[in-house]
Amino acid sequence: MTEPTKSKPQPDVSETTRPFWDGIKSNEFRVQFDPSTGAPQFYPRSTSLVTGRTDLEWRAVSGKGTVYTYTSTLVPIPGFEDDVPYILAIIDLEEGVRILANMVNVTEDEIEIGMPVRVAFEQRAEDVAYFCFEPDS
Amino acid sequence: MADTPPKNHLAARDVVIAAYGETRIERRSGKTPYEFAALAFEEILTKTGLAPADIDGFATNVPHSESTNQYYTSYLCDYLGVTPRWMQISDHGGGAALAGVSRAAMAIQAGMCEVAMVLCADTPSSSWRAANGGFRVAFWDPTGIQGPPGGFGLLMNRYMAQYDFKPEALGKLAVAQRDGAVLNDNAYEKLRVPITVEDYLNSRVISSPVRLLDCVMYADGAAGVLLTSAERARKMSAENLVFPTAYSEIVNFNGREAQPDITETGFSVVGPEVLAKAGMTPSDIRMFQPYDDFLIAELLQLEQIGWCGRGEGSDFLLETDVSYRGILPINTGGGQISAGQIGLASGMTNLVEAVRQMTGQAGARQVSDPRNALVTGIGIIPYGRNWLVSNALTLEQ
Repeated sequence: MTEPTKSKPQPDVSETTRPFWDGIKSNEFRVQFDPSTGAPQFYPRSTSLVTGRTDLEWRAVSGKGTVYTYTSTLVPIPGFEDDVPYILAIIDLEEGVRILANMVNVTEDEIEIGMPVRVAFEQRAEDVAYFCFEPDS
Repeated sequence: MADTPPKNHLAARDVVIAAYGETRIERRSGKTPYEFAALAFEEILTKTGLAPADIDGFATNVPHSESTNQYYTSYLCDYLGVTPRWMQISDHGGGAALAGVSRAAMAIQAGMCEVAMVLCADTPSSSWRAANGGFRVAFWDPTGIQGPPGGFGLLMNRYMAQYDFKPEALGKLAVAQRDGAVLNDNAYEKLRVPITVEDYLNSRVISSPVRLLDCVMYADGAAGVLLTSAERARKMSAENLVFPTAYSEIVNFNGREAQPDITETGFSVVGPEVLAKAGMTPSDIRMFQPYDDFLIAELLQLEQIGWCGRGEGSDFLLETDVSYRGILPINTGGGQISAGQIGLASGMTNLVEAVRQMTGQAGARQVSDPRNALVTGIGIIPYGRNWLVSNALTLEQ
């Protein structure tokens, strides 16, 4: 196994995304909803995809969903050398959004499209929390 | 969006492609986009008898290797001695070449210029300066996704779950394109060796199910075309004219849908639309030069432009001779997958091969009936979908 050449990329936090990251720190997954239609959207941004208004509302969601698709990475990007093979998935959350995330506690042989999953939380650095998903069994 | 297709700005056949130029594709050349651009520029000037002072329109792409230079297009004009009265840079990713051609045609029609160079260059295997912001910093890069192979791994796995996928079909396509590259002097030298379907199937997995031979390899080079009015071309006594006859693009297809079918791409819109504009059906197309960053992207295009139904792409490929000798030649010069991907200039590789074939200059890989071609572009992987830019151009003699 080769030594990681650099650390994993860390997320940036902006005024818009701060409520999301505050949620992650307290083990809560938050999604934005358009207040006029109730339509959810992800990734976090400042504008509603339905109306173009910057009046989105944050709500905590279940963190439960299913695997929409996945890929197992055999050639890592810098910082992920120790994780090979690592699995990424697109998750369909129950509340109707789609999330790209690492899958943990599952192998490529075990994972399948449609598998129930739930959000999990990981500490990337002293003050950096991130999210991933794991089988919901 | 209106029910009637957008107007076809190329219907009058009043703009022509009068010449093309293309450098050899290299890896880790140590050269800059400016140096490669100069070589393709020289070839076009030599073929047409024009001088730099004759070029009054100029369009290019954002190169990976100059993406931190916010003055790139003007610097390139300065480098080449071009004084355009109309200038354009397109950041459509791999769709930049066709975007440039469509806009150059509009500029000529509007009288803003008369002789427009669409010149694409990039040297990502020598100098990589891209630094993408947006969603990537917080929601993409921290996952460790293996860039485009990761995005296409997710897409291909979903396709395989929804449809009857046969890997040997993509193997057959890879072999056909490689045979074209072997006959293409401009293809990256190390890729000019034949492969077999077994080589494809046995190539190592990068990000499952994407194999090494599903992917392009970054390379350095340049390619371009010269557009002018049909009237000016007649005055230049230019021969072997190629007419761009229809163009369509769509950006951010399905962009407001939270959970779309990611196997459905912008080509489901622009494919049928561009053919309708040109008055053609898929069976009229004599050659297909599709944007080919990944083999699965070509299969999706075959289905969504209309050669076959959803999920029928594998059988279509297995039943159809897609070599340069075949009934539907695909990426006859090797495409990007077997010639090398010249970064964000790469859409021009597919276009130049179409023009080369249509002007009878493709040598040993010349197709027998090059009266028309369909060329496409693909650009930019978004968050959790397929790609952001789909564009398509028909060419006719």
